[in-house]
Amino acid sequence: MTDFSEPDSTIRHSSLDTRHSADDTVEYTVMTRDVVKVYRMGDTEVRALDGVDVTIRTGEYISIMGPSGSGKTTLFNAIGGLMKPTSGNVFIDEIDVAQLDANELAWLRCRKIGYIFQSYNIVKVMTALENVTLPMLFGGVPPDEAQDRAVEILTRVGLGDRILHTPKELSGGQQQRVAIARAFANRPAIILADEPTANLDIHTGEEIIELMKEMNQERGVTVICSTHDHKMLDISDRIVWMRDGKVQKIANRADVDIEINTMKEKE
Amino acid sequence: MKPATQPSADWEIGSLSLSLEVVCSMAVNSLRQRIGRAVLTLLTICTATAFMMYLLTMPRSTDPVDIQSWRLMMILSLVVSGAGVLNTMLMSVTQRYREIGTMKCLGALDSFILYSVLLEAAILGLVGAFAGAIAGLIISILLALADHGGEVFRAMEIANLPGKLLFVFLVGMALTTLGALFPAFIASKMPPMDAMRGEK
Ligand SMILES: Nc1ncnc2c1ncn2[C@@H]1O[C@H](COP(=O)(O)OP(=O)(O)OP(=O)(O)O)[C@@H](O)[C@H]1O
Ligand SMILES: [Mg+2]
Repeated sequence: MTDFSEPDSTIRHSSLDTRHSADDTVEYTVMTRDVVKVYRMGDTEVRALDGVDVTIRTGEYISIMGPSGSGKTTLFNAIGGLMKPTSGNVFIDEIDVAQLDANELAWLRCRKIGYIFQSYNIVKVMTALENVTLPMLFGGVPPDEAQDRAVEILTRVGLGDRILHTPKELSGGQQQRVAIARAFANRPAIILADEPTANLDIHTGEEIIELMKEMNQERGVTVICSTHDHKMLDISDRIVWMRDGKVQKIANRADVDIEINTMKEKE
Repeated sequence: MKPATQPSADWEIGSLSLSLEVVCSMAVNSLRQRIGRAVLTLLTICTATAFMMYLLTMPRSTDPVDIQSWRLMMILSLVVSGAGVLNTMLMSVTQRYREIGTMKCLGALDSFILYSVLLEAAILGLVGAFAGAIAGLIISILLALADHGGEVFRAMEIANLPGKLLFVFLVGMALTTLGALFPAFIASKMPPMDAMRGEK
């Protein structure tokens, strides 16, 4: 808590000019402090997160890389308020998520954060349209308006002709796009995208990345995106590498460009 | 941590309110989306309620030995059909933990989960228990008619019939909603990720 910099007294959406400023009054939207998550299975203990400290500025585009099992999804779940860390704190807009009551947590999940799940988590008995409408209904958007908006977003992710299909009538990549559309539905301030392009062809994948970049630059949405795709690094402000539940390294894109180039040279 | 003044209401941690309209449409949709399952559940509730109604209204002999065994049979049968309804509802809600978890991840209020599952169960209970109570009564009358002919209504103590009908209907309704209440309550309070994995 000692290095907890006092925030500007206003919590507002930072515009582009403030997000790259390096002074101490930069606004942080996500901050984790020594977050630990231990899964116990019988006698064995898995430390899925082992003391993670990350600080993410409002309006930043962060990529999280790391091998399978390094704890990316677990970190996202902690940030998204979907599970309680074993110890440590997660702050969203300077507010400790652990202090929130059930209603405030629901608000956080509904309005503040748009989560693209790695495993999609779309409701099987519902159509694409119903799935995308769901978070808007929870958020109090009138049903008619929610429906119109859902059609618009689904069209945007290229599923305009599939809105009445249920998940079992959709391909993996199409289901992923339903999950993406759903995450954007409530116009969240933070997008947690867990390998959002893993099942998409290069073309659709690039469109989705383009869409996230656009929201990031035009609306100042903070994007936190886990990926194995080196192309994604090009558009991120910073890259976080995870390994064995720890943050191994955090780098600015400028520094990484050099690394990528050397990697390309080796190839 | 919370700054004293927050000029932009947009970025405060806000709260959500429950819309009854959405709860109702969600409950009805959910029944529609799983119509096969709903029909099976209805059938269970209906049969069990009809059975209870029949047992309560069938004409019985006044022989004290018969009354003893009738009582025992009555109690056992009530337990069996009640447990059947409870179990059906428990199963149908428990199977949906993943879906409930998903909804919680998307920001559904605990009360939303609870009310929509309960409303769904109440609709099933209303239809099933009502149909069952009536069906049980009809079966009872038909069987008594065969045995007692014109004396049927005296044998069945007609003055008590409306009360019994209401009683059986309420018991059927209560069992249906109670069977759903317990798992729905547990699921609504679980952290979303645990619900997604269907853990207790
Ligand atoms: N529910 C759970 N129960 C037990 N162990 C778990 C659970 N969830 C995750 N783990 C463990 O925690 C570690 C981190 O998992 P996590 O899903 O966060 O990895 P990841 O970085 O997202 O991997 P991937 O790139 O494959 O998606 C893994 O070793 C995993 O086995
Ligand atoms: Mg993962």
